[in-house]
Amino acid sequence: MSDKTGAVLVIGAGIGGIKASLDLAEVGFKVYLIDRAPAMGGTLAQLDKWFPDNHCGMCKVLPIFSRDDSSQFCLRRGFIHQNVETLPLTQVVGLEGEAGNFRVTLSSVPAGVDQDLCIGCGLCAQVCPVEVPDEFNEGLVNRKAIYLPRPTIPSNSYTIDWKNCTRCGACVEKCPLHAIDLGSETKTTTLEVGAIVLSSGFEEFDPHVAGQYGYGRYPNVVTSIDLERIISPCGPFEGQLARPSDKAIPTSIAFLQCVGSREVKRNYCSAACCMYALKEATLIKESNPQVEIEIFFMDMRTFGKGYYRYYERARDELGVKFTRCRVPVVKQDFQTKNLILTVMDESRNMVERQFDMVVLSVGQTPAAEFSSLCQTLGVRQNQWGFCSPSVSVRKNVSVTENGFSVAETSREGIYVCGSAAAPKDIADTMIEADAAACLVSKLLSQERQQPIEAVSQTETPEMADEEPRLAIFLCTCGGELTTGLDISAIAESCRELPDVVLVEEIPYLCQRDTLEKVKESIRESNANRAVLGVCAPFVYRRLSQQLAEDTGLPSFFVRTVNLREEIAWVHENNREAATEKGKRMVRMAAESLRWQSASPLSSIAPQGSTLVIGGGLAGMVSALALAEQGFEVHLVERSAELGGNLREIFFTLQGGDPQKLLQELTEQVTSNSLIHIHKETNVAGISGCAGDFVANLVSVSKGVPPESPSTGEIIPLNPPLEKGDKGEFDDEDSVNSEGNIGITEGENSGNGEKGVSVTKSVSVTEMVSIPIGAVIVATGGEGSKPAEYLYGERQDVVTQTELEERITSGDVDVSKLKSVVMIQCVGSRNKERHYCSRICCSQALTNALMLKERNPGIEVVILYRDMMSYGFEEEYYTKARDNGVTFVRYELDRKPEVKVEGDRLEIEVEELVLGGRLTIQPDLLVLSVAIVPHQQPELSQMLELPIDEDGFFQEAEPKFRPVDFVKDGIFVCGLAHSPRNIEETIAQARAAALRATLILSKTQLQSGRMVSEVRERWCVGCEICVGVCPFGARVKDENKGIVVVREALCQGCGACVTACPSGAARLRGFSDKQVFSMLDAVAFP
Amino acid sequence: MAKSVALEIGEEGLREALNGLLKKLLAMGVVDALLVPLKVPAGNSVVQALVTQVDMLKDAYPLAPVMPVNSARIISSMTRLSSSEKKIGVVIRPCELRALVELVKLKQASTQNMLLIGIDCFGTMSVNEYDKFAQEHIPSTAGFLKLIGENSIVREACQVCEYFSPLTADITIGLIGMDLSKEILILANTAEGEEVLQALGMEGEADSGVSSRRDEAISQLSAEREKKRDEFFERTNAQVYGLEKLLTTLSLCIGCHNCRDVCPMCYCKECFIDSPTFEWGADKYLEWATKKGALRMPTDTLLFHLTRLQHMVTSCVGCGMCQEACPNDLPVFGLFRMVGSKVQKVFDYVPGRSVEDELPLVIYKERELEWLTNY
Repeated sequence: MSDKTGAVLVIGAGIGGIKASLDLAEVGFKVYLIDRAPAMGGTLAQLDKWFPDNHCGMCKVLPIFSRDDSSQFCLRRGFIHQNVETLPLTQVVGLEGEAGNFRVTLSSVPAGVDQDLCIGCGLCAQVCPVEVPDEFNEGLVNRKAIYLPRPTIPSNSYTIDWKNCTRCGACVEKCPLHAIDLGSETKTTTLEVGAIVLSSGFEEFDPHVAGQYGYGRYPNVVTSIDLERIISPCGPFEGQLARPSDKAIPTSIAFLQCVGSREVKRNYCSAACCMYALKEATLIKESNPQVEIEIFFMDMRTFGKGYYRYYERARDELGVKFTRCRVPVVKQDFQTKNLILTVMDESRNMVERQFDMVVLSVGQTPAAEFSSLCQTLGVRQNQWGFCSPSVSVRKNVSVTENGFSVAETSREGIYVCGSAAAPKDIADTMIEADAAACLVSKLLSQERQQPIEAVSQTETPEMADEEPRLAIFLCTCGGELTTGLDISAIAESCRELPDVVLVEEIPYLCQRDTLEKVKESIRESNANRAVLGVCAPFVYRRLSQQLAEDTGLPSFFVRTVNLREEIAWVHENNREAATEKGKRMVRMAAESLRWQSASPLSSIAPQGSTLVIGGGLAGMVSALALAEQGFEVHLVERSAELGGNLREIFFTLQGGDPQKLLQELTEQVTSNSLIHIHKETNVAGISGCAGDFVANLVSVSKGVPPESPSTGEIIPLNPPLEKGDKGEFDDEDSVNSEGNIGITEGENSGNGEKGVSVTKSVSVTEMVSIPIGAVIVATGGEGSKPAEYLYGERQDVVTQTELEERITSGDVDVSKLKSVVMIQCVGSRNKERHYCSRICCSQALTNALMLKERNPGIEVVILYRDMMSYGFEEEYYTKARDNGVTFVRYELDRKPEVKVEGDRLEIEVEELVLGGRLTIQPDLLVLSVAIVPHQQPELSQMLELPIDEDGFFQEAEPKFRPVDFVKDGIFVCGLAHSPRNIEETIAQARAAALRATLILSKTQLQSGRMVSEVRERWCVGCEICVGVCPFGARVKDENKGIVVVREALCQGCGACVTACPSGAARLRGFSDKQVFSMLDAVAFP
Repeated sequence: MAKSVALEIGEEGLREALNGLLKKLLAMGVVDALLVPLKVPAGNSVVQALVTQVDMLKDAYPLAPVMPVNSARIISSMTRLSSSEKKIGVVIRPCELRALVELVKLKQASTQNMLLIGIDCFGTMSVNEYDKFAQEHIPSTAGFLKLIGENSIVREACQVCEYFSPLTADITIGLIGMDLSKEILILANTAEGEEVLQALGMEGEADSGVSSRRDEAISQLSAEREKKRDEFFERTNAQVYGLEKLLTTLSLCIGCHNCRDVCPMCYCKECFIDSPTFEWGADKYLEWATKKGALRMPTDTLLFHLTRLQHMVTSCVGCGMCQEACPNDLPVFGLFRMVGSKVQKVFDYVPGRSVEDELPLVIYKERELEWLTNY
């Protein structure tokens, strides 16, 4: 224990804040999650469906903690974690102290409604006379001054909007529980925390400011978030696409991109808008295919993993039209309320076009209060007001961040993630949230506690053997429920049920004093199982768990039935039917409890060390991030050198020094005693599961080739490739035919120093087995070798990386160059590779600016398709144009032609803006080549990891679990996942390290209660269940000839139970008898 | 392309010519044992037998048009725990072979160390019918084929079977389209099959005209069978479609579970339906009876068939053994074959087509069956 505080303040309860909070809580820190809004969820709560599957999936963020309870939760409704205290309506007003020991002053606006007493009945809102626009629905409908901040959620408590409340007191009188206090005052509290995560997100750009679009004046001009609400099933139009003026389904919709982005005042790209426009267009096309959709854009920035495929689908399959044109002005036809756009047609003439509806793809800006928050926290902002890590570089804080600050602010101990740092989409926000959490965990690593497990200490397992004695309590909600439901009749029918010893009707089951009485009744009647007829808030407040804990009943012996939302409210005009349904539901719960058997919890003690596969940037950063938290790491690198691709990068857009980063990082990794570096080593095999793997490592050094190992025990395999080895291992046949593997280091590298060919042979010499708790896959990728544009045939055709190497080595003298042409998307976004390589546009900008700086007279022409200068890179795109770099766009079906005229290169390309053909004779042609992953068939097979269509590792979920695999305990980062730049790789490597920390930090990994099991007598070992288990939780025991369950991995999904024809797979807590009895109970009352 | 060799049929006839081959296999030690239909010492019945002595093969009737048990079941019982150490030759019909492939995928059988000799199948009679046939005729394939032409003496399952030539055998005995009194085709489909033919001294490629004659006959017969099959499905559909008709159809079921016991795809050690899940006390029966007024006994006959259907129907090869075993002639074959055919089509799955095809249930696809789920 050091003298730091093991608590963290997370500011902003949007998805980034939630992610950081949950993971920090699971690692073992106390978390205070605050938000100035009355409910959590941030912007994300307003969105329903998203890329890539056009469904919700917020629950995928939930870590696997106290799974039996938490799996019932939806993040739209909130979550409960024993280590996280959420404080809504709260802001930071003061900060003292330093990293490790902050003292934060918080100011909380009261909700005005006692959150423990409020039952969410809504009577207060009915009598409230004040109506104001509902911000959750973007003002498309109204709400009252006392309201549910997230109206879709019945469990939420009501909140008073003090700004609009007239203090008339009508609600105070109406509230049956006297929960409303109009006199409550703002409260100030102080907290001791060791670190702070700033995840306060963004505000959408207010298009009222941009008057030319008519937002606010023309009803059918909406923002992208308005549109999210319009098409939301729980929005104002109940999911029916309708335009605001007449609620008609629009026949045509125009999306205008870059509203509030990429302009003089906000010279940055908001990074997320192209994708959300595509998503909204896709959603509309899927439900209303007849609607004509046209997207007006400058560059389609589909740079993330899977984005380009999604774009192709919208364009080619769904028929969304794309027009490259920034629309200057929107006018309205005042009779039809249609909108008239002045746009450029195919023959480059300005024409007027009519649309029924216009959607403004609004950008991200910092919130109005963000500056004062940053001032309070003492962190610097960039010129646009974001708390960008790029302005946060501090001297001598952490050398690896030198010039490559990720998730750090200008104040130590305060970390930033998501759109608070820079405009960002969900996927990148999630990675950064964990990168920030990783830095917190590193800072406070001495203060980690074991997370509290939600196991009742008083649980008495012997209860399970007793004959069932059921107590049934039905809440009447103070008589409120009895208008829609005959509670007495339900109670009466319960008395006839077998094994029931007590049936009671309770006025307010959720209130503290009545809950006490219930506990007393349970004790007096000697009941050992209880059914509670309640409402949703009861469930979400974990009151049944509380009751179980206080009465000593195991939690699996308490069942709830939601009498209010699921019965009374959904059948509000049919009391008889509702009562009938109530009877059946309660009987079903009772029957389920009668047959319920005790299910014990099982756990394993995880191993403390991690295997990091790949010693490039991602591997080194994640290894260091783990070692700095006190965990042992085995870093395996196939080649003889650490560094991977980083060894070949010399410049960055922001002026950082990658070679210095490499040098410092290598020093730190090498000198850290917790990191065991295994160079020239392959992973020959990995077995086991999360927390308990065994990895076999074989070292590869001079000798015989791996095809003829010296002993029979050694498993030869294609070693994971790292940059520098150039992929000779890819072609096993050629290896066999030659009988020896010649590795030519630095082949094609163009680097004078490394250009010396060193041929060596490879063999398998020894194997070591290492127990490990987690695996990080950082096997990397590399630039592809183009087979076009005369590459490889001429010295003056090079890749961007080769250009950097030649300039650094002096092979190319920039001052002697007169003209350089760069071609973008060489091998990317084409028929072969349906993805954007993400980093090449910024690499081209970097090198173009560098050339211009070293030789201002040089002509630089960049032939591009869409410039992907997302986020703050946009500024450099502008700068490049200002500095005279020429940008010429080309289309995929009309690629530039590269020829040789006499002795010179000649490049011909169609000029799309002015027409005609452009001919350039450059001194050098630089190709921005596609990034391709190192193929890892053996590794993916060994670890049972999926590979995506492009050869990258397929993560569990592209947005919400970007570094996880479905199979727990294995994480991915760097180019093995997808193309990304240095900062993004560092962020992802830290995120992967943090996810591994979730396993390593625990003394016990606990399984859920509802895990699947194998009834040995029935198992025939056909392995169908092994195939259907997504979590790798089932394996064949070859000795017994049957399948066994790894309980810690099982998530209780029940796929195996469905698949097993023999009835050998069973989910604990769902026995066949139990389910059949429940069916009997519901079918034949 | 498979290597094919013509086998001339001499005076002694088809059975003797084939038996000659089998004897050679055993005598030369190419195989250590043969699983082959053999006439029982007393009577005319032909059953599968595991033969190790060459002279026992005098009673072999490899082409006898009868299938008392689906051989896949037999091979499963021999190899479920461990594959055979010694080489076993297996004379097997197409539907048996397809069932065997399914069981291999389900880890319930192993074809390691097995030489699979598939035969072109003209269909089989029920055991009783065959017994009568064998009493009245000299049991020869020619005689049998003559009878088929005259009336439908083969089982319904065989009449609508479109997989009458083996899909995955090492060696195929090609009969369809051949003049069985003159010559038949022996085809080697695998490297092992080729080695065996070589070992038997069967060299030289058959005349391409002979091979193409068989291919033409197969495609012609396929078309006929598919037509018959579709007509059969229409009839079956009319008989069982809808809950009312299904209940009526299954009302004759006495719950003997014979259909399950003979089904090659019902491979569970102990059927779910026989498990304690279905053991209830008198009080439960009374509860049900009270709710319904009267309770049909034995219970769960519909549940039994639906459960079995759900469990094995993706792998149903349509051998029709279930139909043979039913004491009350419920149209179980029609029901299972028809539902199976539809389900298999959904997954583009042909049971027994290849060991490489993964079972539909164990493949996860993010997007599939969109027409069904409206996803």
